[in-house]
Amino acid sequence: MAATPIIEAKGLAKSYGAVQAVRGIDFAVRPGQCFALLGPNGAGKTTTMRMIMGLTKISAGSLTLFGKPVAQIGRAERARIGLVPQEDNLDPDLSVRQNLEVYGRYFKLPKSVIRERIPALVDFMQLTEKIDQGVMQLSGGMKRRLILARAMIAEPELIILDEPTTGLDPQARVLIWKQLLELKRAGRTLLLTTHYMDEAQRLSDWIVIIDQGRILAEGTPGELIAQHVKGHVFEVAKPLPGVLANGRFEHEDIGDSVLFYVEQPGELRRELPAETSYLHRPANLEDVFLRLTGRKLREN
Amino acid sequence: MASLAPWREASYTLAIWRRHFLVWQRTIYSTLALQVVNPILFLFAYGLGLGAVIQTLDGLDYLTFVLPGMMAYSALFTASFEASVGAYSRYAYQKTWDAMLATPVSLLEVLLGEALWAAFKAMLSVLGVLLVGAIWGGIASVGGAVLAVLALGLASLSFAAVGLACTAHAKSWEFFNYYFTFWVTPNFMFSGVFFPVDRLPDPIEWLSWLLPMTHLIQLVRPLTAGQPLALGPALLHVVFLAVIAVGAFLLAERRLRARMFD
Ligand SMILES: Nc1ncnc2c1ncn2[C@@H]1O[C@H](COP(=O)(O)OP(=O)(O)OP(=O)(O)O)[C@@H](O)[C@H]1O
Ligand SMILES: [Mg+2]
Repeated sequence: MAATPIIEAKGLAKSYGAVQAVRGIDFAVRPGQCFALLGPNGAGKTTTMRMIMGLTKISAGSLTLFGKPVAQIGRAERARIGLVPQEDNLDPDLSVRQNLEVYGRYFKLPKSVIRERIPALVDFMQLTEKIDQGVMQLSGGMKRRLILARAMIAEPELIILDEPTTGLDPQARVLIWKQLLELKRAGRTLLLTTHYMDEAQRLSDWIVIIDQGRILAEGTPGELIAQHVKGHVFEVAKPLPGVLANGRFEHEDIGDSVLFYVEQPGELRRELPAETSYLHRPANLEDVFLRLTGRKLREN
Repeated sequence: MASLAPWREASYTLAIWRRHFLVWQRTIYSTLALQVVNPILFLFAYGLGLGAVIQTLDGLDYLTFVLPGMMAYSALFTASFEASVGAYSRYAYQKTWDAMLATPVSLLEVLLGEALWAAFKAMLSVLGVLLVGAIWGGIASVGGAVLAVLALGLASLSFAAVGLACTAHAKSWEFFNYYFTFWVTPNFMFSGVFFPVDRLPDPIEWLSWLLPMTHLIQLVRPLTAGQPLALGPALLHVVFLAVIAVGAFLLAERRLRARMFD
């Protein structure tokens, strides 16, 4: 069944001088999929996306895009990709409309096509009222939405989104989720990074978790949860009741309390003495992420 | 693959140029002040001030002598500034180049667009100075002035290319202090803008021949003053300017390719 992947990486690596940002990763993004690349700060997500865009040369391994090695990618292929970069690079001196017009010209879109698409795009990102305002007058969230609209100007098959919703309010995030799902329904392929695990869980068909340039785990959100944190989490305050101290249940010490991972809540609940204080909830992707990448802050 | 017809491919470079033009349009008055009024003020100050002291130089009245120098100065200053400080802010701060490079546009086209834009802006100020100078009676030959404008266009591309090469090597704004101190200012001071270079001590005169500005003025002054210009030396000046333009441009592209993509 496997259609030719839109993106395929094998042993992909990138070093900046002595810094090894990506250390040999394998993955394949299939057409129509929403593929999420998750990882702590400095994991190598942006670097991977830049390699895919041809904005950074690969150091080792292979990387193909639309079936072609990235080094051979030309204008025709680049016109099929839309990028939402992590950093804002809108034209601050131009209006919303002008930003879109100028960008459309970089894709050599005819004037009539650009004129026709702009109202639809600003409507899609709910910026219609701001269309003739300067970018400097937009809030951070509006800028982010404009960057998304801009990435869509050439109707790309592949949309690469580097933290598209960072800094957005809940309303704007919900809007973007809805629009991304609509794009997916329309058959676009999405490659996404995010630090919001609920977002990844909601949008993605396939998730790859990386840390320090290496893949730690991959699978569907459901598979990852089932595999790494069972289905249920009990957070039990210390000191632990004796029955739990014997290591019978999979657990993780997080300081003041211990997390227990079980498939069926009953398994553990029936063991707990009545006076134990605990918190029970279904396991989610955030548990997987923290379990795999550790709880320490990434300073470098 | 996209068509290889040059006029179709040129639309990518044009798209970059148009972006710069659009931004400039929005801030047109302040930039016009800098690019046109500034050199005109210079012209008045030197024309009136020095002109009152110096009646003629090399057989020319001082206005006729200094006007081509002022045109060359405005080309030098505008193109050098736009391709260095202007381009660097787009590259390093606004990340405009990153945005462009995420589209079908190539780095070569981004840089060509920058160079053409800087040269275009330089020519606007050159034409402003030319207009005022002509009204004031500083142009002796109209045909010569047309040729001079062409030479100034070529020189603007050279100055822009050197500016881009500097941008390609700049690690911070401080780097441009060196560029202005050791490149732009010597081009202004030791190239014959205010007095002929042969008045300089010999070793400095020889060094002055390394500056594109000296060659530019050697071309422009006889042209606007209606003096004879020998074809051989004129060609050498043109070739010198063209070599600087191409060489510096290629250097900029190579350096930036390594810096941005490695
Ligand atoms: N241009 C560069 N030069 C040198 N090192 C770099 C460069 N870009 C990234 N790095 C390093 O490569 C590593 C991976 O960075 P990258 O930006 O890919 O991380 P990320 O996963 O996107 O992180 P974040 O979640 O913070 O955006 C980091 O250690 C970073 O310091
Ligand atoms: Mg990143």
